[in-house]
Amino acid sequence: MPRMVRPAFRSPATTLAIVLATLITMPLADSLYRVPIQVSDSLEPIVIAAKYDSAQHLLHDSVTFSPTTFRPLRYLQARALLAFTQATGLTYHAVFRGLHVVLLLMLIALFVAAVRVRNWPDLVAFAVAFPVLLGIHTFLSMLFEAFPVNHFAEVGVCAMALFVLAQHQARWFVPIVACVLLALTLSVIESGAMVWVTVICCAAAGLRGINRTTVIATTVVFAGYLLLRHVLGISSPGIGGHGSGFGDRFYAPEELAQRFGAHPIGFMIYNVTGGLASLLFAEPRQGVYALLAAWREGEIHPVVLINVISSSATTALLIWYAAARLPRRRSAWSDADRTFVAACTAVIVNAAFNAVYIKDEIMSPAGLFYAIATFVAVRALIDSFPTQALAATSLAACVLATVAALWTFRAVGVHYQLRYDAFTTRNDWVEVLRPDKHAAWPEDPVELALTARIRAEAIARRTTSPSFMPRWTDRYWVE
Amino acid sequence: MWIIAAPCLVLAFWSASWTAGRLTGDGLWPPDDVTLSEAVATRNNAEAVRLIEGGANPNQPSRVRDGLLTSDYAVTIKPIEAAVGAQRADSVRTLLAHGASVDQEELRVLRCLERTRHDSGVRELLAVQSTSAVDCNGIRSPLDRVR
Repeated sequence: MPRMVRPAFRSPATTLAIVLATLITMPLADSLYRVPIQVSDSLEPIVIAAKYDSAQHLLHDSVTFSPTTFRPLRYLQARALLAFTQATGLTYHAVFRGLHVVLLLMLIALFVAAVRVRNWPDLVAFAVAFPVLLGIHTFLSMLFEAFPVNHFAEVGVCAMALFVLAQHQARWFVPIVACVLLALTLSVIESGAMVWVTVICCAAAGLRGINRTTVIATTVVFAGYLLLRHVLGISSPGIGGHGSGFGDRFYAPEELAQRFGAHPIGFMIYNVTGGLASLLFAEPRQGVYALLAAWREGEIHPVVLINVISSSATTALLIWYAAARLPRRRSAWSDADRTFVAACTAVIVNAAFNAVYIKDEIMSPAGLFYAIATFVAVRALIDSFPTQALAATSLAACVLATVAALWTFRAVGVHYQLRYDAFTTRNDWVEVLRPDKHAAWPEDPVELALTARIRAEAIARRTTSPSFMPRWTDRYWVE
Repeated sequence: MWIIAAPCLVLAFWSASWTAGRLTGDGLWPPDDVTLSEAVATRNNAEAVRLIEGGANPNQPSRVRDGLLTSDYAVTIKPIEAAVGAQRADSVRTLLAHGASVDQEELRVLRCLERTRHDSGVRELLAVQSTSAVDCNGIRSPLDRVR
């Protein structure tokens, strides 16, 4: 066995954790791969990337595509994948959706590396935390994205990679890797700033892999990014740039601008606290409190109850760990304590990214860290069992098993929602290049040929109709 | 302690069976084999287009299993009748765009069917074909059980 692989299989518990993760991830990867390339968000960048005569020209122009975003690598990545498709003869679906699956596999592998299962209690904690990772709504929202490369998954992978590096001894290459990953993610989406946040949170928690050099280097890169945006005249989106919820209903961008545009501070505080609450308690979603609407209508869907109960119980466990198990002095913190603090701090800071509008995808890095913090807290609870009375231990084990069952149920729902997404995404292609609307077809032959081929690939991939899936599933898995 | 891990272990077992099923062509919620009318009845417009582009006749009646448009019995109907029965204006539009034809007698049947399965989008689409008042006396719904 190669030297680098050997440590991963150093104990039967480690091996079993990897086996569990592999078994559960395989059908998930299949469900994700079934979703066709999207019409919205994906087709346009692919077409733009294909029409340019050179990558340099595309890079130059992409800087000015939007007055509020700086995402040059979005188009360059699409162009690289188009070139890869032509070079290999693979389908566009295989390349674009295949990369999406690769990002999922990398996320899972990094999560397994981050929690570091070494013994049987670790494995039990892993069996709770892994369904939390998959079942939390921010994970599903992240899987839904595609621009056409999934930028939120890229941010998640880069943030998790740095988190894993931070848990090990500082090495000379860490500052370089951190700067490259930060520059990469900032070039695809503004949420890439979470990579810098991860570095700072890990350093603040005292994780030994992040030294002063890494902090300074990444801060310089981030400051350079902000300066570049300023020089290019790229502003941040304000209130009304995107729809968002408030109270028990969702508001269109213009409604938000009219209602909160003049005095945005209160709305921004609502968004930040709402973003954090959405992760910790599964409410609100996109800023809308479904519980409020359910109370008004007198009917509550089981999915809301399941999500709120499982998330609230898990958050209670994290609060217990922070209050009862975390030493007051940082110097007394164990590695697990530092991991917990770094993860929780990243969760809290991530909530600030929701200031202008709440979106589940924005909180997707926080969802990953939430699962890591859950692992640490569950592990500590299991450790406390021998010191407790038998009745207390039994009760805690039963409660934990119930919470794990709810999260596992939520994780199974990911398959259903991906099937549903595949169905609706494939149907979207019916409206593209309609035979009765020839006048609306692209005139550019490159654009027409590319669109026709991606459409043909999407239509040819059969999906499952929700009509043939169990009727009860909507009420239990779809909010 | 192991009871805590039980849900995840069960999920791993199920996942293994789904993967094994997928390799043998089944797995979790595989795509169903449907007729053109069934594809339309289940608002699976993309599958309807795939079938038409693969050679299916958009004017040919085909079977719709019970439970999709009717309870306890299957019907054999035209795809466009399935679209009106399913209250899907988008499906009606898709079929018309892909070669479905509607003569005056069929239009009368569809308009009467729409009266029993109200859908404003479908009504508007059918009204484009004919704005005259429709008399439904003597018109049998395609969704009625054949005795």
